[in-house]
Amino acid sequence: MPRKRPTSGPRGRKKGFKRKFLFRKKKFCKFCDEKIKYIDYKDVRLLQAFTPERSKIFPRRISGTCSRHQRKLMVAIKRARTIALIPFTAD
Amino acid sequence: MPKYESIFIGDPTLTDDELEKLVKSYESLVSDSKGKILNLERWGRRRLAYPIGGREEGIYFLMLIECDASFPRELERRYRINDRILRHLTVRVENEAQLGPSPIMKARPPEREETPVPAPTQPPAPPAPSA
Repeated sequence: MPRKRPTSGPRGRKKGFKRKFLFRKKKFCKFCDEKIKYIDYKDVRLLQAFTPERSKIFPRRISGTCSRHQRKLMVAIKRARTIALIPFTAD
Repeated sequence: MPKYESIFIGDPTLTDDELEKLVKSYESLVSDSKGKILNLERWGRRRLAYPIGGREEGIYFLMLIECDASFPRELERRYRINDRILRHLTVRVENEAQLGPSPIMKARPPEREETPVPAPTQPPAPPAPSA
């Protein structure tokens, strides 16, 4: 039998710290959410959403993309760069 | 036979006739090698994301082909030889989504093929300049 975790109890230790993150939106993988299986390198608009400002690939820790989709996204972005659909860098 | 999609960017300084010839040459290359062209998309003139060989624009073509697995190597070799091709990319089709129209064509406003541009009706001849 799994050990029962105390579900209640005093939690007043780091109240201020906790409050700070109370309203942070939960990150999720856009591709899992929309059930996108294949990320097309020709879909410029989609890829641009993941290559903001300086055209760098949006990191997973910020975008929330899952590892499987991040890998596919990476391939798609690199292909799109090869055929000049999206830039390698901004300027 | 496996399917591939192949994009190439033609030199924007070519005339329409020369571009047509370029496309034809690859079409015949595919059919001569017992391949089949499933679809050909002409994206037309697009601005390149970065200059290639001093060109700011390129004429994009997308071929969807079904051919022997040894053919892409030959195709790419021909692309490389041809200096009218700025860039090329051939990838294997791994998902049915690649077989349909590409996002770039979908984003286009629907072709005006069905409703041809009305022939410019001759405006009534301007009144003869009065003497």
